[in-house]
Amino acid sequence: MARGRTVGRRTFLKGAGAATGAALVGFPAVLRAQPKEIRIGAVHPVTGPGAIDGQASRLGAQMAADAVNAAGGIKSLGGTKLVLLTGDSQTKADVARTEAERLVNEGAVILTGAFYSGHSMAMVPVAQQRRVPFLIDISAADVITLNVAQSVKEGKQKTQYVYRNFPTTTAFGRKAIQFMNEVFKATGTSPKRAVLMYTNDPFGKPQSEGFIKAHKELGAPFEIVEVIPFPEVPADLSTEVSKAKAARPDIICPITRPGSAILLLRELAKQRVDIMGVISPGSPGLYEKEQIGALGKLIEYTMDNVPWINPVSPKTRRIAEEYAKRSGGKIFDTNSGYSYEAILIIADVLERARSTEPDAIVEAIRTTDMPDPIMVAAGPVRFNDVGDNANASTAMIQILGQRPLVVHPKESAEAKLVFPAPKFWERG
Amino acid sequence: MTPTLLGQAALNGLLFGGLYSLMAVGLSLIFGVLRVINIAHGDMMVWGSYLAFLLALRVGVDPFVSFVFSAGFLFCVGVLVQRGLVNRVLDAPHEMQILLTLGVALVMENLALVVFGPETRRSESAYGLLTVWLGPLFVDVPRLLTFAVALLLALALYLFLFRTDLGTVIRAAADNPYGARVVGADVSRVYTVAFGIGAGCVGAAGALMSALVPFSPASGFPQTVTSFNIVIIGGMGSLLGAFLGGILVAVAESLGAVLLAPSLKELVSFVLLVLILLFRPQGLLGGRAP
Repeated sequence: MARGRTVGRRTFLKGAGAATGAALVGFPAVLRAQPKEIRIGAVHPVTGPGAIDGQASRLGAQMAADAVNAAGGIKSLGGTKLVLLTGDSQTKADVARTEAERLVNEGAVILTGAFYSGHSMAMVPVAQQRRVPFLIDISAADVITLNVAQSVKEGKQKTQYVYRNFPTTTAFGRKAIQFMNEVFKATGTSPKRAVLMYTNDPFGKPQSEGFIKAHKELGAPFEIVEVIPFPEVPADLSTEVSKAKAARPDIICPITRPGSAILLLRELAKQRVDIMGVISPGSPGLYEKEQIGALGKLIEYTMDNVPWINPVSPKTRRIAEEYAKRSGGKIFDTNSGYSYEAILIIADVLERARSTEPDAIVEAIRTTDMPDPIMVAAGPVRFNDVGDNANASTAMIQILGQRPLVVHPKESAEAKLVFPAPKFWERG
Repeated sequence: MTPTLLGQAALNGLLFGGLYSLMAVGLSLIFGVLRVINIAHGDMMVWGSYLAFLLALRVGVDPFVSFVFSAGFLFCVGVLVQRGLVNRVLDAPHEMQILLTLGVALVMENLALVVFGPETRRSESAYGLLTVWLGPLFVDVPRLLTFAVALLLALALYLFLFRTDLGTVIRAAADNPYGARVVGADVSRVYTVAFGIGAGCVGAAGALMSALVPFSPASGFPQTVTSFNIVIIGGMGSLLGAFLGGILVAVAESLGAVLLAPSLKELVSFVLLVLILLFRPQGLLGGRAP
């Protein structure tokens, strides 16, 4: 009958569908060629127990995005500006994941974060399923990138979207032993007995295992005579320290968090533990401004093997000055530094990708060769076949004159290291 | 594992136990009198810590003195919380009371986060690093002071409850609120005072704790859990039980750190809890009102 001429329900739906499809596919295609802005999703633990670190990371990332924009944005995309979409994981892995999903829904074309390995791991499925490249700024667990690389290799996943610009746990352990050996050699010392104390959480346990493994593989003049895990947050470490003291150590190697670091160092002093020094295989809590303020001379001479900003790089120094201004006098440190550098790498990647298309970004990440990193590194930023920056390194820092200073390796050193350290009770 | 190490661990635990006891006594008093479970207990403690921290930082008052102010401040907070909020749900089921105090806990924690920031803090004390050596054993002076103050406060509370008229009324209201009303006791006022005193106890504990253990806005909840654990082990509503429970748990944790792996020390107190619930569900000294 009149079917030929009037618009039937099905015809209407078809037409509407096609029009909507054209709107969805067609216009974004135009937009994609010249995006107005590029959204980067940054998930950090801004509240909860990880808040200090998360806030530092967020500020670092924000400052880097501002710096890139001030320098003219992404030039190959017509000066497109970066917009940092911030997510707060509340120091919970499940929230990290939902925040990542939210940011992708809000248009993030690349993700960064997430400080805790467990959180980064929770974000990996989002990156892989939604095809959003994820450049991890901070997280050390080897498996995060390794698992994805493995499943790509086995053909279970087509493309790897997860990359990392941070030393892995394995790298931490190996650098710790390497640097300790070099430090002992340079100072003509040879400590014989070490006690390893670590916070028994998803950060401390693998970190301590990496150290023990590297100690076995690389060898060192000292023996690890006692391994003492303690719960985080500990109410009291006096018994743990009594136990460490009973092992008659020459050095204490602690893996702490801010709360436990304060307890540990005070307890070492109270119980007059007679050691050559405190050398951490790599942990937070031993260099932050608040910690130095809280511990004063007790934290002096403490050494820590940590990823660190490169103090002899003029670029890094400029950023550090600006960071101090914007944070109310805080130190530009590992957390703020790596989150800053991640955004710089993302900008470099986008510049070369000339697109926000996921596979183009991944291709650009793979061919990254960014010289002059702002962090202490063994060379330019380059990603290996697992997806990790193979040149990401740590530095040996020491608290000297109430400031954390790089004392090793020599190329990046800004001060001369003091070892053995004066006894706790001889520090005036 | 030497006898010295064991002795040292037992001593450390004993001296730390005073603090646990004070926390638990506050919680136990509130439960014993009002039959309300105060989830905000640990967060009240954190506020006590922050007040002591501020007084030490700005005015230079030692936390071993300023615990009085913390106790007073938290007493007022407790009175306000009881008058304004808890009073309305006294006859409601336990889960509603728990939800309410959980809400108070969340507000207090996040308020601390806004006001003080997320950093880990610790109060400076002139006695902070003092130690006294008894042969091979050392006595940590701040811990000794904490223990002494906690003991004195618990004693004062005992005298208040058993030697004053108001104390007698509080005990009467705890035993039988209806009966207490019949003989003319102002039970509503008693509840307010009891909640205030409970909060004051934990406020004082917070101030003392701030010189020993670093704290942050997030450290409230674990303290609530520890307090509950102790109160259940000691016996719900029993003040002496809470006091002894605190010392028992602290010594057990400390010895556990030596005898087992230190990260298992928290396990010790929870194993104790499970054993108590299995074999003596009323707690060590439970079943009686304060």
